[in-house]
Amino acid sequence: MATQSVESDFSWEVKANSHHCHKDKLKKSFLCFHWGRYSDNVVRSYKYSPLTFLPLMLFEQFQRVANFYYLLMVTLQCVPIISTIPWYIAMIPLLAVLIVRGLKDFANDMARRRSDSQINTRPCDILISQRFNAARWKDLCVGDIVRIHKDQVIPADLLLLCSSENHSLCYVETADIDGETNLKYRQALDVTHSELTCHPSEESLAAFDGVVFCEEPNNRLYIFRGELHWQGQCHLLDNEHILLRGTVLRNTEFAYGLTLYAGTDTKILKNCGKLTVKKTQMEKVFNRLVIGIVLGVLLIAACLAIGSCIFSSQVMSLTEDLYFLVVNGNPVYTGFIAMWSYVLLLSPAMPVALYISFDLIHTVHSLFINWDLEMYWQEADKPAQARNTSLNEELGQVEYLLSDKTGTLTQNRLLLRQCCIAGEIYGDVSISAEDMEPMDLSWNPFSCGTLFMSAPSLVENLRGQQCPLSSQFFKALSLCHTVMAEWKEERPVYQAASPDEEALVGAARELGWVFLSRTRDFVVVSELGVTRQYQLLALLDFTSKRRRMSVLVREPEGGLKLYCKGADMVILERLQKDIPFQERTERALELFSQSCLRTLCVAVRSVPEASWEQWRKTLTRSATMATCDRDALLEKLYDQMETELLLLGVTAIEDRLQDGVPETISLLQHAGIKVWVLTGDKKETAVNIGYSCKLLDADTRLLEWQELRQILQAPDPRVSFHKARQTEVWAVDKETARPKTAVVLTGAELVEFDQRPEWGAKFMSLASQCESVLCCRVTPGQKADIVTMVKKHTSSVTMVIGDGANDVNMIKTAHVGVGLAGVEGGQAVQNADFALSQFRFLQRLLLVHGRWSYRRISTFLRYFLFKTCSFALVHIWYGFFNGFSAQRLYETWFISLYIALYTSYPVMCMAFFEQDASAENSLKYPELYKTGQRRELSSPLMLSLSLVYALYASLILFFIPYGVFHDTAFDYQTMAVTVSMAATFTATIEIILVTRYWTKFNFSVVCVSVLLFFIFTRIFQSSRLFQNSPIDFFFVGVSEKAFLDPVVWLTALLTAWVAVLPSLTAHGLNIILTINNTHKVHSMSTQPVELKSKFSRGSFGRSSFAISQGAGAGRHITSATHIHSRDPPVDKKSQLE
Amino acid sequence: MYSSMIGGLKVTQNQASKMIGKQSRSFVYDAFVLFFHVRADCVKRRYIHKMVKEEQPESVNRPDNTAFTQQRLPAWQPMLSAGIIIPGFVLIGLAFIGIGVALFVTSRSIQMLEMDYTGYEQNSPCFKCSDESVKNCMCNLDFNIDTLFKGPVFFYYGLSNYFQNFRRYGVSKDLDQLSGDMDAFLDPTSDCAPYQYDGNNKPIVPCGAVANSMFNDTFKLYQIVKGVKKLVPLDGKGIAWWTDYNIKYRNPTVKPLKNAFNGTVKPLNWPKPAYELDPSDPANNGFINQDFLVWLRTAALPNFSKLYRRITEGDYAEGLPAGNYSLEIAYNYPVLSFDGRKKVVFSNVSWMGGKNEFLGIAYLVIGSMCVVMSIVMLIVYAKFKFPEED
Repeated sequence: MATQSVESDFSWEVKANSHHCHKDKLKKSFLCFHWGRYSDNVVRSYKYSPLTFLPLMLFEQFQRVANFYYLLMVTLQCVPIISTIPWYIAMIPLLAVLIVRGLKDFANDMARRRSDSQINTRPCDILISQRFNAARWKDLCVGDIVRIHKDQVIPADLLLLCSSENHSLCYVETADIDGETNLKYRQALDVTHSELTCHPSEESLAAFDGVVFCEEPNNRLYIFRGELHWQGQCHLLDNEHILLRGTVLRNTEFAYGLTLYAGTDTKILKNCGKLTVKKTQMEKVFNRLVIGIVLGVLLIAACLAIGSCIFSSQVMSLTEDLYFLVVNGNPVYTGFIAMWSYVLLLSPAMPVALYISFDLIHTVHSLFINWDLEMYWQEADKPAQARNTSLNEELGQVEYLLSDKTGTLTQNRLLLRQCCIAGEIYGDVSISAEDMEPMDLSWNPFSCGTLFMSAPSLVENLRGQQCPLSSQFFKALSLCHTVMAEWKEERPVYQAASPDEEALVGAARELGWVFLSRTRDFVVVSELGVTRQYQLLALLDFTSKRRRMSVLVREPEGGLKLYCKGADMVILERLQKDIPFQERTERALELFSQSCLRTLCVAVRSVPEASWEQWRKTLTRSATMATCDRDALLEKLYDQMETELLLLGVTAIEDRLQDGVPETISLLQHAGIKVWVLTGDKKETAVNIGYSCKLLDADTRLLEWQELRQILQAPDPRVSFHKARQTEVWAVDKETARPKTAVVLTGAELVEFDQRPEWGAKFMSLASQCESVLCCRVTPGQKADIVTMVKKHTSSVTMVIGDGANDVNMIKTAHVGVGLAGVEGGQAVQNADFALSQFRFLQRLLLVHGRWSYRRISTFLRYFLFKTCSFALVHIWYGFFNGFSAQRLYETWFISLYIALYTSYPVMCMAFFEQDASAENSLKYPELYKTGQRRELSSPLMLSLSLVYALYASLILFFIPYGVFHDTAFDYQTMAVTVSMAATFTATIEIILVTRYWTKFNFSVVCVSVLLFFIFTRIFQSSRLFQNSPIDFFFVGVSEKAFLDPVVWLTALLTAWVAVLPSLTAHGLNIILTINNTHKVHSMSTQPVELKSKFSRGSFGRSSFAISQGAGAGRHITSATHIHSRDPPVDKKSQLE
Repeated sequence: MYSSMIGGLKVTQNQASKMIGKQSRSFVYDAFVLFFHVRADCVKRRYIHKMVKEEQPESVNRPDNTAFTQQRLPAWQPMLSAGIIIPGFVLIGLAFIGIGVALFVTSRSIQMLEMDYTGYEQNSPCFKCSDESVKNCMCNLDFNIDTLFKGPVFFYYGLSNYFQNFRRYGVSKDLDQLSGDMDAFLDPTSDCAPYQYDGNNKPIVPCGAVANSMFNDTFKLYQIVKGVKKLVPLDGKGIAWWTDYNIKYRNPTVKPLKNAFNGTVKPLNWPKPAYELDPSDPANNGFINQDFLVWLRTAALPNFSKLYRRITEGDYAEGLPAGNYSLEIAYNYPVLSFDGRKKVVFSNVSWMGGKNEFLGIAYLVIGSMCVVMSIVMLIVYAKFKFPEED
């Protein structure tokens, strides 16, 4: 009965070796119809097909409000009665925008297709008719059996059937999935192992006809449930039997697997998130603005239309002679026509050119990022790369930086840098590992030169056998671990489940205690050239709860020894009383933790034969017990054994950070950016890295789940949060030091957020007061969920940085995604908006390029609004003096050339080159960055101020010439030229005021623009052009006369001056009032950011224990499932002795 | 060691100056780079990739180290301070006041005489003509001048509440027709409607509302010397724009001009066809009649004046001497129907053209505002800088 209910759950059915059966049910789609059940193994990240390109692209383009608006304008221009310029000229800018954008989309899509086909054509071996044929990934289908070679990437989610190793064990590296580089074990079912492992295996595999029932495809990476029905029996399957797509097979010659999920059904692709077009905050504001302006224009046009109506009916009531002024003799119809004419006349307030310039500026800013030598990584020959060219200003507004850990903050290289033996500290951590002079270890034939600890005195001690404790210490390191040795080129190569162990065993090898090999019952170690064999009696495994592991060995001499290593807290409470150097060791621990080294305490105990016998009996008895009881008993048993320890020493391992990480993080924090760490790694490791990269320091209080939960459940989280902070005992000087808090969460705890959506807002309000948040053990999907949560509950810009495939989802989700072009795998970079080679380049990307971009673009936007609105809105005022007849105040040519030629280049130049503070100063004063976070330059207030200013300028632009020309003999065309001149001058003076960084380009472009106005006005009003086309160039001779008229000049100058007077005054007052601030930026003083390492509280603050090891490695060793049968080559020297 | 350092420094300075020289020379190149760097970059990269792949593959992607790509272009960053801004405001304010004074004084020195002759009021001499039903009405406007009205005197007519700038009015003409295109004579543009064809469907030349509504009052000025009316000669030559007369508007080349108008009718409101506008001067007819050209140059605003004649000849070359004058008006143009006004204006001119008090006053006001602003700034600055002393 129970199986029945389970079966209904497992609706996904996969029959082995039935290619055709599954092939028929492949997912297919046409337009928007989809059918079929199983995905093929083809990755399709592209958006368009040849058929759908045009409609989809157009659909996407016209989703932009502006494009739709321009389409409307072009349509209106086609109506002759209201048109201001011929429709074919009006079309050009819109077509240009559409074509450029379309081509860009097309190119991007082609690039995506290329990278897809690269992945899809990777090789794999598929079993077809009793033979493995070389095929490509895309040929793989659910139900196929594949052979994976060593170091190959697994093409789909597979059920491991058997492998070349004993017990069908195999090792996979999951770096692309969770960022951990240590190897994980996967083991096939016993039944498939025993039935299918034979040589040649093709026949038996081809005959395999099992059926797997399992869950529907989902995104849970660490959970798999299913069952295999074969030979009339049902076998339960779990995560242990599954090889996930994207992982790499290591240390296993080959493995055979049955494809369960392919292509988009695989767990990693289910975790990938969707490709969405990112919009910047600025663009959103901008879109709103466009809507606002368009509505405003419509409203104004409607009002003017009413005016036109009234004027028409007045005219009609006066005299029949003027009936012709009213269209069809109908005032309402006249008003209606006038309205659309005014819409067209006012539409230059929002020209298409704005979008074109916007794109161009973005592109140039992106090029500057690509060209920056300071972000060029010499060693890999990789410059920074702006892959998405439309997010530049977003870089200047980032408030949350969410970072991956492995490969991003750390190099994932663990080195033993220091140790403390018998209270004596060896090694010096102040010299970086690269600068260190390597010790002379030529006496040791096994040395590979991978020791980054300089302690000649220790070597002397060891070789001279002067200090038994140090020998014991290294003996412990070489015995107490779960590492395996593989022999390659006469040297042991270690394979460890945790990089920490690998580092420790490796260090012991360098110093003469070489772990040679292990069998089920013996561990062979070469001690300073003497090969000794220890009998392994018991392995007390590591769990995250126990935080220690031990081995019980019988020495060749016969004594029983227990070697133990683990977290300082755990070991210290299990020591014998009155150890001579405990105090010194504790001080060493404190010192190590200050240097952010990961510590492990190493201890030893001699076990009397009698107690061992008794212990063993209890242990054997426990083997027959039920699982849960057994676990509890084992724990108690282990606890009994690990007492009365003698402390040998402490190891201090450095988890190498990327270059400049602490400095960068500190700088970014000074710039007001909150740095969060999201990692798939363990909590201890994450916290330790938090300390070492100065994200946390000794006075930071860690808020963990229990406490956080209470706070979140409280009615007013803020109050209880403050209480929680205040109750801190260690906050010695509350007045001066604001207590810092950081939240530590794990993936399992985050699941609760799904069930309680109301916690999100509470949590974010808490998190905004914390220094940082560390999320450990999170899946790629959860990483993205966290980003979504931040995006949802704050209006801040989020940036994500990561290097692996496990970061792809969050990179796609965040406002800005940065991919680190790491050593392996380009997946993060492929999906990122910006690609960097080093974490530290982030400071330049954000504080220099981002800040500049933000400032440039928001200034550009405000200026552009001013110049176009002030110029177009003049028609409103003119309407009152021409009977609301939608008469233009400019020559037709001027309207298009003003935007295209006379005023566009200076502002572009400004937007390319403007620098309010140099790159050096931007980095020196990170506080400057906060302008962008507060959106000071692009706030709705600032934008509406610009609009009000433009409205004022338009009033001036009309009414001063009105005053001058009123009741005089000056004609309409002269006035038109005068107002054009004034408008050009106004725009030019304003850009001169706005520009603060005058390169030769700025100078020349400003001069050229004004000159262009005069030259082109003269050309377009010349007799030659008039003779060619009288209707297009009917302003003939006006400028010739006007440019010589002093009144025209005096009017234009006065108008321009009055129009910019408010801006000028504001600039002047600003300079006078902020005189100190500007000096602060431009000159010296105030201390630059420096790294403050305040570990002065005097109390031993924290344990810096961290080990990235999961439970269970020991199980394999004790059950001897993975012990290589090969014997170690025996050292000749030791044989002689 | 010190000297070698100095030497090194010198070399770098030399290099720097050379670089600057190079930069200024390669200005055009830089400008080119600005817009085409992308392409150039791509091409270059491809090229390098092919050429140097074996030699130095590791620095192929290294960005160029130029001032432009590294955003280190030499630039002038104006460091504005209160010391520049406040005196700047004062100076500009003073300059404006100076210009304003000059304009104001000039404008004041211009003599101008304005007389409304609409005949709106009953005691007005032209009241009898204000009724539209009276045809060929003449009225006299008497005035006297106290002092010599310095010449050359310009004689304008002015209209108020007249929307020559109305859009449909302004476009209601056929530029092809007016530039002598005979095809447009028989087929005027539809912009001219309803003054495109007459009731018999004959094309109107010149078509359109602008031509149709041409101002047709005429004036004769007499000086009354000892009770005798002495005609003041009015010069109607060259009152239109040179470009209008010579380029923009052309008569058809047909001789005599009259033949060109065969098959067309004159505008409805015109008493005479276009080729008979000025019987005294055959060259002043058709589309290049000076008065017609002045009328075609439409006004910007509803209140405007247009040049009618100049007084430059004979006894009046020096101006109008003091005395009594009489203006004989042939009152043809109705304006009261749309509540308009008509006036005549006598004025002499200066370097700045006609009388224009607004400009001078505006300059004075803005100039004073700048000065006041600078004082405000000074106070703010003082308060801000020495807050203790307050």
